[in-house]
Amino acid sequence: MKRLRIARCGTQLLAPSAPRRPSCPCTAAFQRNSTPHNHRRSLTVQATAQLPDGETRHDIAASEELSEEPLKRAHSQARRHPPEALPSPHPRSAKQSAKLAALRSRLSLPSRFPLETLARTLVHPSADPDPAFNNASLSSLGSSLLSYYTTEHLFCNYPRLPIDIVFAAQYAYIGPKALATIASEWGIEAAAHPGGEVDPGLLQFLRLRSGEQLPPALRRRTPYKWNLTKTHRILVSDEFGSTSAEPNPEDLAKKPVPLEEAAQSFVRALVGSLHLHLGSPLVKRFFRDHFLSRQLDLASLFDFRHPTRDLSRLCAREGFEAPVARLISESGRLSRHPVFVVGVYSGKDKLGEGAGSSLDEARVRAAAAALKAWYLYKPLDVTVPSSTEGGVGAEAWKPNMIDCGEVIV
Amino acid sequence: MASRRPLRTLISTGPSALRAPQRVRRVIPETSACAFSTSAPTRDPATEIQYEAQSQARPRWQQTPARMIAPVRTRPLPKGPQFKVNDSPVKLDEMYNRMLGPDGYKVLSDEVKWLAVTHKSFDHGRRGFNDRLAFLGRRIVSLQASLALINSPQAKTTPEVDEYGRTPYTHPALAGLPGLTSEAKDSVMQIWRLAPIAQRYGLDKVTRWKPRKADDLEASGQNAVLATSLYAIVGAVALERGGEVANKIVQEKILAPMGLTFSG
Repeated sequence: MKRLRIARCGTQLLAPSAPRRPSCPCTAAFQRNSTPHNHRRSLTVQATAQLPDGETRHDIAASEELSEEPLKRAHSQARRHPPEALPSPHPRSAKQSAKLAALRSRLSLPSRFPLETLARTLVHPSADPDPAFNNASLSSLGSSLLSYYTTEHLFCNYPRLPIDIVFAAQYAYIGPKALATIASEWGIEAAAHPGGEVDPGLLQFLRLRSGEQLPPALRRRTPYKWNLTKTHRILVSDEFGSTSAEPNPEDLAKKPVPLEEAAQSFVRALVGSLHLHLGSPLVKRFFRDHFLSRQLDLASLFDFRHPTRDLSRLCAREGFEAPVARLISESGRLSRHPVFVVGVYSGKDKLGEGAGSSLDEARVRAAAAALKAWYLYKPLDVTVPSSTEGGVGAEAWKPNMIDCGEVIV
Repeated sequence: MASRRPLRTLISTGPSALRAPQRVRRVIPETSACAFSTSAPTRDPATEIQYEAQSQARPRWQQTPARMIAPVRTRPLPKGPQFKVNDSPVKLDEMYNRMLGPDGYKVLSDEVKWLAVTHKSFDHGRRGFNDRLAFLGRRIVSLQASLALINSPQAKTTPEVDEYGRTPYTHPALAGLPGLTSEAKDSVMQIWRLAPIAQRYGLDKVTRWKPRKADDLEASGQNAVLATSLYAIVGAVALERGGEVANKIVQEKILAPMGLTFSG
């Protein structure tokens, strides 16, 4: 059945056309700057290139009129570089992305934080090697910020923590697995394959297919030294005390990486971009809300080899009386499941108590409990070093306790 | 109620193991650590160890804890000359004045002043060491170096159109980001760049450490020890005086000699 064509034979049935709106004095200028839809995309490409430093797309309306020449050039460029050919979405598509806007409001970030920067933090160097479009430099800054804030939190709140535990606690708070978990909690989804046509609100990185090997930069990690001591680790290694260096972003360009690596770089880049756009007070609040709010049981990170020997040396160093283990109570000594409760005493003071199914086990547990009580000492109220930055907080400053170090056996 | 008889005497150190069981006079070193024990020890003047009376008032940095010293040295002395370590507070204060400014010796408290320049190799770590301070100091220097690279005047370049015909998004806050590359960052925080700065302040004369070979300090890793001390001083200032003071010291005394200037 043939379709009726309204335009040809039914124009008298249509509603009368609306009367022409009175012409506005600035219509001419408006028509000069606003272009038909299919030319708008190519126009903004050329416009951004022509504008002087610092101006963005929003300044197009205020700039002088654009001639026909750059319009034709921009249009041909768009035909040569369709979105699918770009390695990552064009910055202008950030404003149209619902995912980015939703992410910004989900993280309670102020609206003056640009969506274009948020889009940039989601682009891993494996998707786009250009450092002006990926998150490598932002990630480097964010990594320094995160490790600084975590370190000062741990050192001020737990001044006697051994350096091994510090490494482990840093890994627990801001390590790659923790950051990947945080990214998934924030609702970050990954694009199946990076490209200019994907939604800018997706995490873009070259995905590792299942069964595929890691890229050489992540696989062959040469250690710093063959006999890396803890002190040297502090000097050359990262905040987790890793035995080898992290790969450079250039080595990961266009190489498939695991999701953990991309998520870690996104979270770090986000913190870095927050610092640059919004300033350090907001970054500190963000860190407190999203990272420090995670619960970590520091006592479970300890693993003593010879706690009795360590405790004895510690008492000798601090000048306490030599520790002595005494049986506090016991039950079922000749049965199948005896329980012995042993306390370690220095003079009249009980340093620690432990229960075990043998006398030795209880004694060792008591010594470990005593060492944990020493190492996990926590002052009541502390002021962290970053609280004095910017000249504020000088009157509330309280010098932190500095411990001489863990006992060396 | 705990039993009077000890379960098994834990391994105690040299002096008390060799002699008959006796009450050892408790030494309270003046440190920032609070004393753990609250009970007063019973004192037997007849068997009191002589040197303990002298060591009572001396600070932790000045002496090894008495009960950690064995009465007899069992290993032979190492070959080569002995390495002499500074024990003069005057020389240490001079170094701090050189590094931290005119009243530099007042910035840190007494114990912490010595702790910041004591390496773990010194006295087997019995008088404390600067590992933890160096960890914090390195984090501060790393952050300040990143910010210096972002704020450096060479970093502010005009964005160019790339091969795909796109220009990056520009914003005044992101202006200096091209200056922060991994090569630039790695090249700043190198031991061979920090050690000469430490030597300039005289840290090599006051750092307390034990080189493997006293006649070849370079091969014994002096550069690493000096860099550790430098970081540790920064960390100590941050913990005792706050981040603002520490950041200023890093910018003026460590990064500026390396050529990294702060425009903002």
